[in-house]
Amino acid sequence: MILEVDDVSKRFGALAALTRVSFAVEAGQIFSVIGPNGAGKSTLFNVVSGLFAPSTGAVRFRGEDITGLPPERINRLGVAKTFQITNIFPEISVLDNVRVAAQSRATESGRVSSLWRRPDVDGVARGLLESFGLALRGNAHAKDLSHGEQRYLEICVALATNPTLLLLDEPTAGMTPGETREATALIREVVLERGLTLLLIEHDMSVVMGISDRVAVLHFGEKIAEGTPAAIRSDARVIEAYLGGGDD
Amino acid sequence: MSVLGWRALVVFALLAAVPFVPGMSRYYLLLAFDALLFGAIAMSLDLLMGYTGLVSFGHAAFYGLGAYATAILMERGVQSVWACVGFAILVVGLYALVVSFFATARRGIYFALLTLIFAEVVYTFFRYTQTFGGSDGIQGLPDAILLPGLVIDTPTRKYYLVLVYLIVAYAICRVLVASHFGRVLVAIRENEDRARFLGYNVQRYKMGVCMISALLTGVAGAIYPMRSAFATPDLMLWTESGEFIISVMIGGLGTLVGPIIGGAFFTILRDKVSSVVDWYFIVIGVVLIVIVLFMPRGLLGLRRLFARRERRAAA
Repeated sequence: MILEVDDVSKRFGALAALTRVSFAVEAGQIFSVIGPNGAGKSTLFNVVSGLFAPSTGAVRFRGEDITGLPPERINRLGVAKTFQITNIFPEISVLDNVRVAAQSRATESGRVSSLWRRPDVDGVARGLLESFGLALRGNAHAKDLSHGEQRYLEICVALATNPTLLLLDEPTAGMTPGETREATALIREVVLERGLTLLLIEHDMSVVMGISDRVAVLHFGEKIAEGTPAAIRSDARVIEAYLGGGDD
Repeated sequence: MSVLGWRALVVFALLAAVPFVPGMSRYYLLLAFDALLFGAIAMSLDLLMGYTGLVSFGHAAFYGLGAYATAILMERGVQSVWACVGFAILVVGLYALVVSFFATARRGIYFALLTLIFAEVVYTFFRYTQTFGGSDGIQGLPDAILLPGLVIDTPTRKYYLVLVYLIVAYAICRVLVASHFGRVLVAIRENEDRARFLGYNVQRYKMGVCMISALLTGVAGAIYPMRSAFATPDLMLWTESGEFIISVMIGGLGTLVGPIIGGAFFTILRDKVSSVVDWYFIVIGVVLIVIVLFMPRGLLGLRRLFARRERRAAA
């Protein structure tokens, strides 16, 4: 098991954002978490990636307890995350966005020599931009990219830290159906090529069903189902949640 | 020397020729000293303001502590430049360690507030401690000695002392902003949260840059009494910190060279206007408002303007 979420609850005051959620992700899997808006998906990611400590429960990565560690520590163990709302470095170049992420894994990182040395990470950075079709946009300011390009840059920045587990929070948010199909295929390709484990949040069912090995469904902070895409599609509680409860 | 670039080398060569300008007086040479010292301090502050996005309202304390470090040693007969600078690094370093630890522990406005509060405490301590001369500070210091037999006594020697300091500090800053560390600073300025998710311990980086900026400012402070022969609590007043910030702003954030120009410009402007009228701060204020409103990128931003015109003319 690469990631184990064990009986995790998270409360914000009176609001129970997550209630006793458990699941496990195997190495090399594409595991999706779906659910209507407000189901607690992003909160779950924030707990796994270290932004919040859970109120109760534990998170283990490769068997190691990472509950409550800060984001920078969890990232260094090999967990990278993208954000639902694009979260990049706007006023520097696209290439520098990826460089600063990639050099986080250079030998200089965290050492005194980092004060005067600059690791050469251009190969890694350009390679990543290449695989997401951003090679020609390297010198543009990140803020000047189109929405779709920024979504790709978001993924490039996360991948540059060389993770074993990638958390993607609605990577296709705001894309047209055409772009979404393209992005989904590309993500799948990159994940397989790099042998990554992917934990994906989506509320677009069509994205999830196409690429997932396994799907968990959250509804009002509780896990109501887990299984293969086919099993989830025919699950009565899931249909109820999507058709009866939320709007999407 | 390649870290400096040929343009900087030309500028430093020209600055080195300043004492040979025909008709150069003692007065102007010391004004040039002040201009370069102020420029060097503004440049160190730019590491925080321009590159990391942190505004320190307490740099006067680093500056003043450096000056007192020199004054305290000289008053006791230690005239060596190296000893004074070394002592300043020790004193300012210890103080900066405490300040930067607390100031970077919280985000946003707290950094500005905490640096200011710490600086005010230091100011008050020196202002009311008679051992260090109270409000008069420490006056009538002897000349500093760089090497046995080489006394920093003439305005020309003092000028070269500060020029060498500026060149060294500039080289340090240039290397730093181009390094692994410098890239992370810019990432923190741009998006602190995301930097954490890339595995960077943001507080450690902020503390690091705060220490470096403080030490460079502290060494500048240590050099000041070698020209003025005194250290007073006024050097630590919060208005002094404000003038450093203004110098960075008018020069151009995040450029290193801009703040040097800004600091020199501010020093010369203040000197020239104050020798003509008493209400010189009104004049300076108007000039600054014009610069901030019409040149948001500062004086160095003019460069882009010219570059654009040339390009248009060429096309």
